[in-house]
Amino acid sequence: MSEQDQAGRGIGTDEWVAQHEDRVGAPQTGMARVAQQWTRLPGLVRWGIPLVIFLSVPFIGSSDYILRIGINLGLFVLLALGLNLVVGYSGLLDLGFVAFYGFGAYAYAMLSSEQFGVHLNSIVALLLVIGTTASFGFILGLPSRRLTGDYLAIATLFFGQMFAVFVVSSDEFQFPGMSDPVDLTGGANGITQVDQISVFGFTFETNLSYYLLLVVLVVFFTVATKRIHFSRHGLAWRSLGEDTVAAQHMTIPTVRLKLLAFTIGAGVAGLAGAIFASVQQGVYPSEFMLPLLITIYAALILGGLGSIPGILLGAFIMVVLPEVLRFPDYSNGIFLAVLIIAVIATVKSWKVLLWAFGGMIVIGFLVNGILLALQVPYLAAKEWITGPLAPVLGSWVFMPENRVLYGNIAFVALVGLAAWMSIMRRRTRIIVLPLALWLAIWTWEVRLLLEPSVTRQLLIGALLIVLMASRPQGLLGKPRVEVL
Amino acid sequence: MQYFLTQLVNGVIFGGVYALIALGYTLIYGVLQFLNLAHGEVYMMGAFFGFFTMTTLGGPSMSVLPVPLMILLMFVVAMGGSALLGIGIERFAYRPLRRSSRLAPLISALGVSLFLQSAALLLFSSRVRLYDSNLFLSVKSGITVFGVHIDTAEIMVVVGAVLLMVILWFLVNRTNLGRAMRAVAVDQDAAVMNGIDVDRTVVWTFGIASALAGAAGVMSGLLMYPVDQYIGVFAGLKGFTAAVLGGIGSIPGAMLGGFLLGITEAMVTAYLNPTYSDFLAFFILVIVLLVRPRGLLGRPALVKV
Amino acid sequence: MTTTALELTSVTKTFGGLVSLDALSLSVQEREVLSVIGPNGAGKTTFFNIITGVYQPDSGDVLLYGRSIAGMTPDRVARMGVARTFQNVRLFLNLTVRENITAAMYGRTKSNLLDTLLGTPRARRESRENEERVLDALSFFGTRLQGYRLDQPAYSLSYANRRRLEIARAMATGARVLLLDEPAAGMNPAETHEITEIIGRLRAERDYTIVVIEHDMHVVEGVSDRVIALDHGVKIAEGSFDSVATDPSVIEAYLGRGSAAKK
Repeated sequence: MSEQDQAGRGIGTDEWVAQHEDRVGAPQTGMARVAQQWTRLPGLVRWGIPLVIFLSVPFIGSSDYILRIGINLGLFVLLALGLNLVVGYSGLLDLGFVAFYGFGAYAYAMLSSEQFGVHLNSIVALLLVIGTTASFGFILGLPSRRLTGDYLAIATLFFGQMFAVFVVSSDEFQFPGMSDPVDLTGGANGITQVDQISVFGFTFETNLSYYLLLVVLVVFFTVATKRIHFSRHGLAWRSLGEDTVAAQHMTIPTVRLKLLAFTIGAGVAGLAGAIFASVQQGVYPSEFMLPLLITIYAALILGGLGSIPGILLGAFIMVVLPEVLRFPDYSNGIFLAVLIIAVIATVKSWKVLLWAFGGMIVIGFLVNGILLALQVPYLAAKEWITGPLAPVLGSWVFMPENRVLYGNIAFVALVGLAAWMSIMRRRTRIIVLPLALWLAIWTWEVRLLLEPSVTRQLLIGALLIVLMASRPQGLLGKPRVEVL
Repeated sequence: MQYFLTQLVNGVIFGGVYALIALGYTLIYGVLQFLNLAHGEVYMMGAFFGFFTMTTLGGPSMSVLPVPLMILLMFVVAMGGSALLGIGIERFAYRPLRRSSRLAPLISALGVSLFLQSAALLLFSSRVRLYDSNLFLSVKSGITVFGVHIDTAEIMVVVGAVLLMVILWFLVNRTNLGRAMRAVAVDQDAAVMNGIDVDRTVVWTFGIASALAGAAGVMSGLLMYPVDQYIGVFAGLKGFTAAVLGGIGSIPGAMLGGFLLGITEAMVTAYLNPTYSDFLAFFILVIVLLVRPRGLLGRPALVKV
Repeated sequence: MTTTALELTSVTKTFGGLVSLDALSLSVQEREVLSVIGPNGAGKTTFFNIITGVYQPDSGDVLLYGRSIAGMTPDRVARMGVARTFQNVRLFLNLTVRENITAAMYGRTKSNLLDTLLGTPRARRESRENEERVLDALSFFGTRLQGYRLDQPAYSLSYANRRRLEIARAMATGARVLLLDEPAAGMNPAETHEITEIIGRLRAERDYTIVVIEHDMHVVEGVSDRVIALDHGVKIAEGSFDSVATDPSVIEAYLGRGSAAKK
């Protein structure tokens, strides 16, 4: 066979490729059209719009509380971007990441408070903190050469726990050779009266000043991440995350890069920690524990690993939504809205929707009747609910006096039912749907509302499980293919 | 000398508990090459199940059943409940991910961990529970060996742990199920082609591993360790360390690792600082993973490039 | 006057009790195309792995242009000029075609993170050069991997295209020596023929030194200057394709004892 065989074409000419332009049609769905228009806007506009929104936040309802949330969001985004380098790009499951955040906070506190009577210049303190935290990251990264995914996860998890234990128990730290123990970290009470950052005479005192500082930092790190994404190092990290051995064979010094990822990630976390300590003017061990770590992971995964807009979106949801949960009146509305939207989004047929919501309402009243007949003691509507939804929910939800007992039973039943539904056939699932919806709302009202912080963690845990099973690429990530 | 022996005995006793948790890790890893991050939480739930069985039966002080029967029932409920929990976790959180990425099951396990801890908090409240086993198992009774007094609860724990290990050994080496487990551990696809129902084998593996963790939870309670929603974190990490120390995937290794860890921890707690006993486990883990990743009794893993 | 590009001197490698390579010695001249054949389990891929640094030889040495590379890590070996493809294609599946190739140019570029962040002239220059090299490497394979395909994720490529991309990626590292592990595996006759031509052109137009592990004798016959047959880690024949293909011990290794006599 010669080069000019195959109906006269040369080697490797590909008609499919040549005809590509003719094949690409217009986007079909509304979402896709919006997405296409969005990508057509010039980059400056696409970056500028969110930036303008965030910069104008302080002027909306000049509330300090909102600024505080903004600060938390900013810190969280920094942490997420740092962790993205380690997990999102390099695929290194570091479950001890939160320890660097804590380390940064404590290091800054030790250098800028009455703990040791040291009040370093802020810039010096920050540089020192970032440097030491980064070195810390380097050290943690050293074993990563030999540890594969599972092992690395648990070893780093252990490391994170050790940090927490160390901090809590180091209010009496015995240096060998010294006669008395030293209060290193303030133990469970933490370190208080931490200095605020002051640079060239200007002291960051107000929430507004910290908020603006964080906007600047977030912009910087987001742009940096984007640039890194397509750069020599970014590609190197992303390929070592894909296939470490193959990457090595393609000239990439994987060991060095893994260490670099750990180091930089830790440094960013350290910076965030220092700022956190300065905002709060104190550090406490309980803030750097596992639940925060899992929340950061949840944000990354929900948004989509490796996708920059995804990270920002995930961070936003993870920080802002729980704040809403704090206000029972609003959280009720949000919960119901999310539930209804979720059902409408997944169920296409209006007949099923009717069955789902109609059945749910009927079951609600049925249960009311049964429980009333059984003479279960209950609470009147105004004793347990206020807010705009009170009239509707108040009459439809049967609120037993012993909320905890009934709520717990309902919770267990709900978890069991949800799990079972995940393996049911579609038809059975539809039949059971009204019951599941009612049970979800009932459990929410009767039990889960009582304890917003626990509920928040329950939801995050459940979110991770459900995401991995149904949409591992998160909201804005691209579906990934992996060879096992 | 007396003191040393007492600590040694303490170490062996709690080592048994570690060994049971380690066995759970090793069983699941052996069969699925997956490290179940949520295993510690199953231990925690087991401790709670045992506690509530005890209180339902009127314990600790006014049990409606004779004490041995009450304790037996505690174990049965805890092990059964934990087994069901473990099976449920596998079915709903891990099985859908069996053929997806490497990271997905770990993230899911993280979610399961957090979910279980929060569920425990929700259902059982944050109150720390104590078995108060000294109320029904007198501390004074028991045996004295080499001048060291071992009370009834401690005897029960050691005997129970050894008994469970013997049963497990028997199960893995002398039954069809055990053979199926070993086959799936070596090569899942080949096992399928030889007529082994992998799903069922995995279910049994998770059930057994979780039951052992549940038993460990009850034992820990009987030894008067406090029970709250956080005990699973460190128990899980240390159990994992014991499994790695002995050689992950090796059953005798898990047992050996458990006892070794227990003893060294008891020694460190007694002769150095009690706080640093937690650190000890961490250092052991790091050193083993760096110096001899296959552990004491494990076989080196060969990966085809 | 030809230079010896690659040389193994009495390399032995055992795994547990299994001797994978047994005092293997061979050399490859610059611009030579050497094929390595042998039944499965003969040690062919181990041979590649020893060269690229995945394993260290238990004894013996590996020399690249006279320099010992035994014991170097794979990334170092790659930077020294040896690139390979894998038996079961190992692309960066979730990266685009362009990204797969650009990633492999790490060792040829120098931009550091600061360059990236600041957008320095060096960063921009290397970026331009990389893009030129990408198109250059891909042009070897016609238009198949060009145009819109450049931005498609590697997992969307057909099997044959994935193999081609892997070769292009190896070229991108700037290597002088290519180790191709079963490049024609799973290809139909037309694709196989094309691969044979490509290997020839790689040597003729780009001066590569190429070692090929292959089972498909059409390819072996079509590309090789010299053929080596391995069995159980031992070199059992060496020479031109015709002499090796008719060598009785080679026939016996593939078809079993007594087959040589039958032939």
